[in-house]
Amino acid sequence: MAQQEKLKHATAHFALDGEMTIYRAAELKEILQPHIDHASVIEIDLSKVSEIDSAGLQVLISAKLEAMIRDKQLHFVGHSKPVLEMLDLCDLGGFFGDQVVIFPHGTH
Amino acid sequence: MDLDDALKTYIIESRELLEQMEDALLRIEQAQDDPEIINAIFRAAHTIKGSAGLFGLEYIVAFTHVAESVLDKVRSNELNIDPELVALLLESRDHIGTLVEHAAQGDEPDADSEQQGAELIGKLNTYLGHKAEQTAAKGGMPVEHAPQIEREGGHTVATDNWHISLRFGKDVLRNGMDPLSFVRYLGTFGQIIQIVTVVESVPPLSQLDAESCHLGFEISFQSEADKATIEGAFEFVRDDCVIHIMPPHSKVAEYLDLIRDLPEQEMRLGEMLVKCGTLTQDELEKALQKQVDEQRPIGEVLLEEKVVRPEVVAAALDKQKQVKESKSAESTLIRVDAEKLDQLINLIGELTIASAGTALVAQRAGISELQEAASTLSRLVEEVRDSALTLRMVQIGGTFNRFQRVVRDVSKELGKDIELLISGAETELDKTVVEKIGDPLTHLVRNSMDHGIEPAEVRLANGKPAKGTLRLNAYHDSGSIVIEVGDDGGGLKKEKILQKAIEKGLVAADANLTDKEIFNLIFEAGFSTADTVSNLSGRGVGMDVVRRNINALRGTIDIESEPGVGTTMRIRLPLTLAIIDGFLVSVGSSSFVIPLDLVVECIELSEEDKHAAEERNYLSLRGQVLPYMRLRELFDVKGEQVRRENVVVVQYGGARAGLVVDTLQGEFQTVIKPMGRIFSHVNGIGGSTILGSGEVALILDVPRLVQLVSTQVEKNGLELA
Amino acid sequence: MGALVKTETQVALTQAAEIQQYLTFALGSEMFAVGTLSVKEIIEYGQLTEVPMMPDFIRGVINLRGAVVPVIDLSARFGRRATEITRRTCIVIIEVPSGDEQQDIGVVVDAVSEVLEIPAGEIEPPPAFGAKIRTDFIHGMGKVDGKFVILLDVGKVLSVEEISTLASVASQGAAGQ
Repeated sequence: MAQQEKLKHATAHFALDGEMTIYRAAELKEILQPHIDHASVIEIDLSKVSEIDSAGLQVLISAKLEAMIRDKQLHFVGHSKPVLEMLDLCDLGGFFGDQVVIFPHGTH
Repeated sequence: MDLDDALKTYIIESRELLEQMEDALLRIEQAQDDPEIINAIFRAAHTIKGSAGLFGLEYIVAFTHVAESVLDKVRSNELNIDPELVALLLESRDHIGTLVEHAAQGDEPDADSEQQGAELIGKLNTYLGHKAEQTAAKGGMPVEHAPQIEREGGHTVATDNWHISLRFGKDVLRNGMDPLSFVRYLGTFGQIIQIVTVVESVPPLSQLDAESCHLGFEISFQSEADKATIEGAFEFVRDDCVIHIMPPHSKVAEYLDLIRDLPEQEMRLGEMLVKCGTLTQDELEKALQKQVDEQRPIGEVLLEEKVVRPEVVAAALDKQKQVKESKSAESTLIRVDAEKLDQLINLIGELTIASAGTALVAQRAGISELQEAASTLSRLVEEVRDSALTLRMVQIGGTFNRFQRVVRDVSKELGKDIELLISGAETELDKTVVEKIGDPLTHLVRNSMDHGIEPAEVRLANGKPAKGTLRLNAYHDSGSIVIEVGDDGGGLKKEKILQKAIEKGLVAADANLTDKEIFNLIFEAGFSTADTVSNLSGRGVGMDVVRRNINALRGTIDIESEPGVGTTMRIRLPLTLAIIDGFLVSVGSSSFVIPLDLVVECIELSEEDKHAAEERNYLSLRGQVLPYMRLRELFDVKGEQVRRENVVVVQYGGARAGLVVDTLQGEFQTVIKPMGRIFSHVNGIGGSTILGSGEVALILDVPRLVQLVSTQVEKNGLELA
Repeated sequence: MGALVKTETQVALTQAAEIQQYLTFALGSEMFAVGTLSVKEIIEYGQLTEVPMMPDFIRGVINLRGAVVPVIDLSARFGRRATEITRRTCIVIIEVPSGDEQQDIGVVVDAVSEVLEIPAGEIEPPPAFGAKIRTDFIHGMGKVDGKFVILLDVGKVLSVEEISTLASVASQGAAGQ
């Protein structure tokens, strides 16, 4: 199973661009899924994302969850303005930025 | 309902929504900050888009989505409404209309539409571009701003903030809604103090259906708004989602309720509330403890603790009432195919005739019980008829409102500032009439704007306000509906009209005409008084066609005009084209029906009057002059003259006339039967009906007869004895 | 007012173009015919309501199962004397195109005789002159048993446009005294 071992440590770098909206949500999932399947470190460049809505956000969250469950690292980098704005609005910076925090434990 | 029917309904609804949208867009210029109007526009676009998605009408979804995004920015106050934007939105509305018509035709948009759509999207996108930066600047709400949370004791929580708990339904995204836009919208009337995005229900990517929504939010929200307003923000998703809105200082028990209601684990949710600043850790622990202690239903607990604040109750009740009212209004309305209605009316027409036939037979048979039964039947049929006819009555307001757009566009085209005032919008008339009156009205409105209302300079010079006023008014008047198109322009120029008419050979140069007759010349074929023919006059029909169209509806039009003050075109139409109450008379062996609404009274023609009338052309009715006409003579009816004739006094549009007939037969429910094109220009006959005997009777065209009588009087003068 | 003959339009429609069926009827001493395709039905003459101020050839209107249908006196339309009503007088209901619609018009005839099949080869063009009625009313001259039958062009004879104009003129004249 050398092949598998190798893949496990493989790193995937790629970018998502354009609209991350309901119109492309299904397509986005198809783009992301193989990368998560085949790499153990996934870095996704969001600098070319021009628009993001709830559906787009949900794909990002879902991808992150998938990675966490499968014990892989998934990072988003180069957040574009619309992405940042959205993360701010939802206060999800913590969720994505800090991979350790799966479920935030409140403000003790 | 199969898909075709559903699509048909979608098309019809979309057209209605587009009308509402247009109406709202036109109003928004005057009422800038009314959120209801913006909501109405948004809702219309949104619904059209959402339903289009269901039918796979991608071209509608794609375009409307962009327009809706812009509207969303307007709704959240990120964009200000200005005339330029309104114009663009109106154009976009029109384009959606074009696309919907494509859907109705069952074809795809053609190249022209595509091109236009692309241009509009380009323009709309510039508005979306602006917005991104503004919002980014606004950003999320820094946590430091959260007010210090302290316990005030008792069972209420300390926070001054609202708590809003949102769990969006699975289909929200598919229905074309974006949960985040609702969150953004909250920011327009308050401050989001803290937000927790609930991701617990989001499945990992491999199990994700990317078009289903699994998101939720817990929001601590500071706002002066009342509960109804906050709830209003979620109006569009209320049915799909689980929404809890808790006012500031809600009872701890309510949070218990919330915690129990939501799908997430209790501890987890409690933590979110704490994170939001809604509950302190202490409060949470006590609350959860309490829940364990108390085994009673939560509702009881709430009641006992008088958990809800009075103002919240008031707001909630109010909102509930509104919702209830709108729900009940919805549930009592049924959409019916107009064709089915027409069929019903036709059947009732046949029923009316059959019932009249039965009554006739009963009378001949001389059986009193049968006669009684027949008369009960007639009365019931009459009631059924009346209620059936009201089914087809619609308010004219919808038609009037369309002119907001016409006036707006034409004003721009003409470079005139003209305001449209509408009154009597609630006046009802038959649907068939409403459908056919649109074109003539459009022409009259354009005509008034073009020729009636003077340019601003002229108006100012004459001491009038620069802004011209156009009035559309409607009211009921003795069995007719009157529709007025009035302007405060320069009035009709008699001399000019007369001169033109003489030039065109419409009247003799030495003709002696009354004001009314001169005004009416503008309805003659090929008449135009404008010195310069603007491109408006070139459109469509002339005034002669207007009159012809109105006459075809058994209506009339006349003009009132005063120099310098303005002109009013008055259209008079019958309320219905189907069934009327008639008054049956006979002359010789022929029967005629006079619309009962136009009958003032009936008198016997006395010997004295008869002799007097032979010498002059009027009767004396209680000392008043009444011009009259003998139907026997006018219609050249054969047969012996009866000894005692009767006079039916009719009134139309302010003028009275006497119609001399042989016998009066009484009231008669008259089902109007079309006589076809052959008789469309026949003088004095307005239609036909079928009597109980099966015989055809003709309906008198009273307006025309009254006109004939008064022309005679005007021509010959009253030969006073 | 029962229907004496109800033509089977459907059957007629399937007829080959070259052999058309014609309904023949008598008007005075002459025989006329119209294509059965345009004939809806034939009814007895009865209960007619006169419309005042109309030219002579418009006899009035009848109630045809709830619809009001105008009735034309064909003889008067041809400029002859009005048809006298006898026991054999009939009204032939003919469907005439009027704009986008079909208008039913009743035609008074002395007697209906029979339905004939006349092959196209047996039809001659209308005579250039010498006909007793307007030539544009004539579709052709059909030869039947060595005699000529005048095949009418119903579109012309019963032109809604023309009749409507004549009716309008007559009524304006009568009312404008």
